[in-house]
Amino acid sequence: MEQLLTIVLYTSLVIHLALVAVCVWKVWHGNNSIDRLIGADLIGTLALAVLVLISLIEQTSIYIDAAVGLAALGFIGTVALARFIADRRVP
Amino acid sequence: MQEILRNIGIVLAILAIVIGTAFSVIGIIGYIRLPDVYTRLHATGKVSTFGMVLLFIASALVIPVGWTKAILLIALVLIAGPVVSHAIASAAYRIGLPMKHVVRDDLAEKMGP
Repeated sequence: MEQLLTIVLYTSLVIHLALVAVCVWKVWHGNNSIDRLIGADLIGTLALAVLVLISLIEQTSIYIDAAVGLAALGFIGTVALARFIADRRVP
Repeated sequence: MQEILRNIGIVLAILAIVIGTAFSVIGIIGYIRLPDVYTRLHATGKVSTFGMVLLFIASALVIPVGWTKAILLIALVLIAGPVVSHAIASAAYRIGLPMKHVVRDDLAEKMGP
């Protein structure tokens, strides 16, 4: 049972890293600024998922502490950038 | 007894990881394929709530002392995800990005010309 869990964890980690690569490509070739902002927010969310998967693989909870900090900071950053774009202070 | 409980937790964790990864993949496919900004936001909101919450449930089931931190993260993500989606959609409407296949726009008459 533990071996099946390990296989599922590594497969999910590879899939999430591929999804991060897709988001980086979309941020590079985005249509407008809101599209790129959505991509940056998705990169933060998927980095959260990668941290949780690493903590599951290593069986330690120290990576979840880093995930809490990343979630809070990513939330504040995305909301602040959305307000800047809405006030037309960023083109 | 302890062994059986641990195995039940691992099976539930495997189910949660598979379903959460499927939600993430479907959300990114929607982010690539859907036509305009508002429908893309509808797809990516699923990644930041369902995909993440199922992964955190898996970590709460498997890691021995990690369940309090996982519950804290679930609360944080459930509050932050809809707020971020709403802020981005409001910014997109304010700078006047167009909608595809629009049927009616109630916010236009409320916000004035």
